[in-house]
Amino acid sequence: MDPSGVFPTSYRSDRRIVRTRWQALALVLFMGLLLAAPYLVSGRIIAILNMMMISAVIAVGLQICTGYAGQINLGQAAFMGVGAYTASILASKTGLTFLLTIPLAGLSAALFGFLFGLTAARIKGFYLALTTIAAQFLFHFAVLNLPSTWLGGSNGITVPPAELFGLRFVSESSQFYLNFAVTTIMVAGAFGIVRSRFGRAFVAVRDDDVAAGIMGINVAATKANAFLIGAFYAGVGGALWAYLIRFVGVDQFTLFHSIFFVAMIIVGGMGSIVGALIGVFIIRIIQEIIATVGPNIADSVSFLGGDIVFAGMNVVLGGVIALFMILEPKGLMHRWNILKSSYRIWPFPH
Amino acid sequence: MVYFINDIITGALIGLLYSLVAMGFVVIYRASKVFNFAQGELVIIGGFIVWFTTMQAGLSLWLSIPLSLVLAGLVGYAIERIFLTKLIGESVFSMVMVTVGLLILLRGLVLLVFGPAVRPFPIIFPLKPLFLGDMLIPMNLLIGGIITIVAAVGLSWFFNRTRSGLRMTAVAEDHVVASSMGISVKGSIAVAWVLGAILSTIGAMIFLSGKSLTFLASDIGFAALPVALFAGLESIGGLILAGVIIGIVQSLTTNYLDPLIGGSLGSVVPYIIMLAILLIRPTGLFGWRTIERV
Repeated sequence: MDPSGVFPTSYRSDRRIVRTRWQALALVLFMGLLLAAPYLVSGRIIAILNMMMISAVIAVGLQICTGYAGQINLGQAAFMGVGAYTASILASKTGLTFLLTIPLAGLSAALFGFLFGLTAARIKGFYLALTTIAAQFLFHFAVLNLPSTWLGGSNGITVPPAELFGLRFVSESSQFYLNFAVTTIMVAGAFGIVRSRFGRAFVAVRDDDVAAGIMGINVAATKANAFLIGAFYAGVGGALWAYLIRFVGVDQFTLFHSIFFVAMIIVGGMGSIVGALIGVFIIRIIQEIIATVGPNIADSVSFLGGDIVFAGMNVVLGGVIALFMILEPKGLMHRWNILKSSYRIWPFPH
Repeated sequence: MVYFINDIITGALIGLLYSLVAMGFVVIYRASKVFNFAQGELVIIGGFIVWFTTMQAGLSLWLSIPLSLVLAGLVGYAIERIFLTKLIGESVFSMVMVTVGLLILLRGLVLLVFGPAVRPFPIIFPLKPLFLGDMLIPMNLLIGGIITIVAAVGLSWFFNRTRSGLRMTAVAEDHVVASSMGISVKGSIAVAWVLGAILSTIGAMIFLSGKSLTFLASDIGFAALPVALFAGLESIGGLILAGVIIGIVQSLTTNYLDPLIGGSLGSVVPYIIMLAILLIRPTGLFGWRTIERV
């Protein structure tokens, strides 16, 4: 919120994403630091950054679907899986370049998401969450039961590395630049979507779909669009994932992974793209800590074995979701916005 | 032909087991307007409580079963007190998300406390199946089916005929309106979760009797989900019909269609039915139709 007396005088300035010079500077510095990261930090951190950027693409998609359009989606990992499988099959069987497979992966996931979004025309609330859970189960069923020459069955698929003009994206840092480029495009696109006509329709439908319908918004189409866009992001993220891990298997895309993505947007803050990025950052850090500390604890408490990381992750994230819903349902971004507006208008209360 | 009838009967009995677990969903929804995604986790916690009181503490079944039910009720009450009382009047989204959080929180806790080991579950119902001519009917499912029907009749009488049941129904309608009518929303939700946890524990006893117990058994929660939706989330009596239909369809698919196509279509058939139901009749067979006003 700006202090009173400061207001945009044209639509152009009202729509602006970067509003002040300091914001522009901060953005340039942030992007510059990220670009230079492979030269500044060690391989382990680059690997974590790679994971974060891929999660960011998927979480931003979920943010548009759930945070902006209010459509509960517990199938984001299945949508991601559709993208990952599409990319890996196209890459391994037809040898298409990643410049084509990544968008195609997004499109196929979008189609899959759209099918489930269509049910949103008739149902809402947690009923919708149930259809997305069904998406999750159907995805698993399809992968495991279709002939294994199609989708690899339970063996998974090995993915050839991304390649462009003879340059192979094999090392962590070269993959970092691939992920960086795609993530930047996708996140910039998300900022564009949410301030466009579609984004405003999403918010209207989220706040009250009956009222939105009365105002002339096609509610069913808007909900289906939200799923389409969210799933497109998940598909692109899935394709990046396939190129990063170079192997896809059905175990990488379970209901639990979907819930992890939901945890990211809840922690960051619903209805904010930056919030999704913050959520990704925090949850991935927590995940790293558990993955590093877990095995040490597992050594002393031997009966748990390798499951301690998974179990610890579930306990922490489940607790985090519940805590945030009870204490701060609007997420960290809301807190930050309160802080920001209070220093902007200081020393006045309004 | 005998095998065909046998498959139908077994399927119907498995369907009744699903109905019992689904009853946990419905009771919690019917008294608190919270859809509990963590139902399967309640089943598994109930299972571990029963395992602990019989196998670990060595109590006899007559003592351990009532004790387990009481303990399960306490767990349900604790979950409600810690997580759900604070959300009264909040949006459906918050409620759903808290139970989704509970789903992974409880699963993680069960794994941390009990570990991934496979444990023997006590034999609560006789293992020997019932022979009817050439047909063979599992005893645990038969007794379980009877328990399910008794519970369904009892609970639907409670919710539709008694004063306190109708109060809880009002809470499911709208938290704010109910509390302004002088109904204790907190109390209603607490009763709902206690009942839900107890039903889940009974479900665990029938489901696991004489089998082995791991944290993976909680998948029955998701298997029961289509039954709850097919019946409609507000109808307890309807669960019986829905459970029987889904159980029979699943059993026939597993026994007759799966060998033909060589896949496990039987495990997803309930979800396909669920999707169809959600598209054709979102309120299920006997659910309430609500009119929305702005």
